[in-house]
Amino acid sequence: MDKWERLRHGAGLSKKKSRSEQALNGVANNVSDILLSVKDLHVSFSVQGGRVEAVKGVSLDIKKGKTLALVGESGSGKSVIAQTIMRILPNNGNIDRGSVMFFDPEDANAPVETSAIPNGDPYLSHMRGGRISMVFQEPMTALSPLHTIGNQVEEALRLHHGKVGAEARSETEEILNLVGFPDPHRGYDMYSFELSGGLRQRAVIAMALICNPALVVADEPTTALDVTVQAQILALMKRLQEKFHMAILLITHDLGVVANMADEVVVAYHGKVMEAGSIDDIFRNPQHTYLKALMSAVPHFDMKPGERLVSLRDIDGEGTQAIRQVSARFKNEYLGDRNEAHLSVRNLRKEFTIRKGSWFGGGADSAVVAVNNVSFDINHGECLGLVGESGSGKTTVAKLIMRALETTSGKANMKMAGKPVNILEMDDKELFEYRRKVQMIFQDPFGSLNPRMTVQNILREPYVIHQVGNAEGQTEEIIDLMNLVGLDPRFLNRYPHSFSGGQRQRIGIARALALHPELLICDEPVSALDVSVQAQVLNLLNDLRSELGLTSLFITHNLAVVNYVADRIAVMCRGRLVELASREEIFNNPTHPYTKTLLSSVPYPDLDRLLDFENLKRTNADDASSWGGAFTASEDAVLASIDIGDGHLVLANQNSDIRELTT
Amino acid sequence: MISYIIKRTLYMFPTLILTSILVFALIELPPGDYLETYVAELLAAGETIDPQKIEYLRQEYGFDQPTWQRYFTWVTGMVVGDFGYSFEYELPVREVIGDRLIFTMILTFFTVIFTWLIAFPIGIYSATHQYSWSDYSLTFLGLLGLATPNFLLALLMMYFANQWFGISIGGLVDPDLVDQPLSWEKLKSVLSHIWVPVIVIGTSGTAGMIRRVRANLLDELRRPYVTTARAKGLSEFRGLMKYPFRMSLNFFIADIGGILPTIISGAEIVAIVMSLQTTGPLLIAALQSQDMYLAGSFLMLLAFLTVIGVLISDILLAVLDPRIRLSGGMSR
Repeated sequence: MDKWERLRHGAGLSKKKSRSEQALNGVANNVSDILLSVKDLHVSFSVQGGRVEAVKGVSLDIKKGKTLALVGESGSGKSVIAQTIMRILPNNGNIDRGSVMFFDPEDANAPVETSAIPNGDPYLSHMRGGRISMVFQEPMTALSPLHTIGNQVEEALRLHHGKVGAEARSETEEILNLVGFPDPHRGYDMYSFELSGGLRQRAVIAMALICNPALVVADEPTTALDVTVQAQILALMKRLQEKFHMAILLITHDLGVVANMADEVVVAYHGKVMEAGSIDDIFRNPQHTYLKALMSAVPHFDMKPGERLVSLRDIDGEGTQAIRQVSARFKNEYLGDRNEAHLSVRNLRKEFTIRKGSWFGGGADSAVVAVNNVSFDINHGECLGLVGESGSGKTTVAKLIMRALETTSGKANMKMAGKPVNILEMDDKELFEYRRKVQMIFQDPFGSLNPRMTVQNILREPYVIHQVGNAEGQTEEIIDLMNLVGLDPRFLNRYPHSFSGGQRQRIGIARALALHPELLICDEPVSALDVSVQAQVLNLLNDLRSELGLTSLFITHNLAVVNYVADRIAVMCRGRLVELASREEIFNNPTHPYTKTLLSSVPYPDLDRLLDFENLKRTNADDASSWGGAFTASEDAVLASIDIGDGHLVLANQNSDIRELTT
Repeated sequence: MISYIIKRTLYMFPTLILTSILVFALIELPPGDYLETYVAELLAAGETIDPQKIEYLRQEYGFDQPTWQRYFTWVTGMVVGDFGYSFEYELPVREVIGDRLIFTMILTFFTVIFTWLIAFPIGIYSATHQYSWSDYSLTFLGLLGLATPNFLLALLMMYFANQWFGISIGGLVDPDLVDQPLSWEKLKSVLSHIWVPVIVIGTSGTAGMIRRVRANLLDELRRPYVTTARAKGLSEFRGLMKYPFRMSLNFFIADIGGILPTIISGAEIVAIVMSLQTTGPLLIAALQSQDMYLAGSFLMLLAFLTVIGVLISDILLAVLDPRIRLSGGMSR
């Protein structure tokens, strides 16, 4: 470590060091288990027209070998704290006050006040990646597509330990093996875009761990992953933490992940710490109003029928009442019988052809079956939840129903204005009429609104396209629409960029409701939103649905959300519908192995229902070979939906016994 | 990879055959043939014509053959390096173009190198210091370079060089070497003359290049993998070079396809203003005087260089970017 001392003296840091020694005398003697200590940290960003304070006096201690969870919504400053610890703040960011002390057990000069070391100092390069490393949220973009996985993972080894060639390669393959690469030797030479999301995140973790750091900063490490993959990655992180005795700073917004991973928790809000304590204190005895509110804003599985989520910032306190006042205009005119199918889909199939050949011949086109033999009904006024992981084909089903894609084969019928229509064989005129009756709410509230149109124009467009009413009548309706979704009509002349994510999503909902639809397709409408805003939007959607008598198809990957909104739930896996049952049945009596894995992978924000990391499957949940004979097709029998009672359908081998399935 | 290159090379042929048909159609487009024009000219000058001589010439140049046969002769000639006969200069096209082509290539080569040497460092600096005073000043200079017409710059430089230093900077070689065959002396003279046209022609290209390097690099600098590299402990400069800079090179490699044709046809106006013995003015003259074989050969050469340039770009892109290499169903 002499090298680093010299380097720091060379960089004129001796003065700073004596200051850090003073700080040390005050605190460090009796807290030798502390690895990193943040004291009264203030960070601000200079932006056009002033400074924005992102972190306002945060203090926290990370203990050796333990996990500290930093919880907060977007804008809470949690990522900025991580960047400050890593010293990778953007150029316009500045540490105004406070200190970060790093008690590196392998550094004779510890502690080091890392926040006071100037940029470009060699110590920082040594610390980053070598002693403190980072795991990122989006594994696709965190890895360079131009360099092999091995090259990128190995890089830290080359930089910090000076290892090259065969030695570096064998160590890299070892760590790839440790994080669960099935074939590390091959994986070394692969590129990030050739890997699945889960494997990519494993590579990122391998990259962070290869130099055996004292602290790993994990910024939302599982947010971009599917729930079954998330469980695997969390288990991996726990296992590696024990093996390497490293501390983890886990930054997340998901209380379920926190409950399963953390030893201690810090709750941040608007750059300040709201509450901090051990995991038990936080979950069993929350004190601060914000934390309590956060807990009750998350949909969970023990909710009683009719229980509402408590939104952190309610729209105006009288949500449902405001809706009632204006809802008469938008009420669905053709309220059908709740026991009759409104939309009926049979044997839907969609193949995408992938062109491999060129026009010089050679290479055959291959077909990918995105939706395979999917059948379901949605009754009048019912909400069907369609659950599945990425690539399961759930959005494709929605697009087929919207007629945004052409179906390969199958049937889809709907009662439009009381009359049955065949969705897949409509002519242009019928289709135009159909578009009024089926509307969609999109996932991304930023991408789904044209930034060059005012809200007024966005909401007027459906009326103009379908030539409904005159200008005055349209304006009247638009104002009512704004009231309906809880937005002030005075905002009509603003552009989308001046609204928050939740407000934009309301605009999207208002647009979908403009033409008085009968069927509403919601494609992941809340997955881009913060927890508190998510509660608002979910409550609004629920209220609108019951007030206006809408039938809806709710697509999501989040089981807790679907549990809150749906009457019945359909589970999709690899283009097939594997299970369909009422909400209670799915959650109390899941039958298909995939549904079971899915349900057991959800992290609950509840210390008494932790994930069973020990017994977690190492194979992917959608791997049909792990499902057992009753659920896989055999030579003499194909898969079919089998009713195991009360309309609980399970996709299983034709010849299998009902009793065999339910045990 | 090899099969990709072979396949990609094969794609060139249909394109080239189609272009050659188009170009030949252009050559044939003017009514009559060169001999008729020639006869008319002689008659107008009051000279007598020996019909036998005309007939001999007609046979000699193949004007009595059907069109497809002449096309075939022309195309096969080009394959072995015979580009036809320039009636204007009464020389084979190859000899007319000859050392002009070499001059042009030298000039283009230096211009391209000059552009890259200046544009890359400035573009990188501008992108990494976005919205700083230095970025604004460099951007301003770049825009100025972009907005100034090259020929104007050429005139200004010629004027001031004459006013202040009393030298003439036009031309590519010393005037007394112009008509001599290509020699070591001549080449040295070219190299001593070349820097002025290089600067003149290079400025606007450099300015445009700076803008593109800056914009492309800025896009990449915001990507999360840049943060990953920093978090790994990579120094700023090496992190910049290894990841975002390499990613931003794609546009520039795709650009190479566009550079090759400018070897022949680039910077004609500057070449005329500065009386450079490059191919640009020759092409313009050939088009003006309807010296169709000369013009046709030029057009064909342009098409060929474009196709080759695009081929080089595509192969380089596949070599440097695994996404392109592996998406085409290619093996690594």
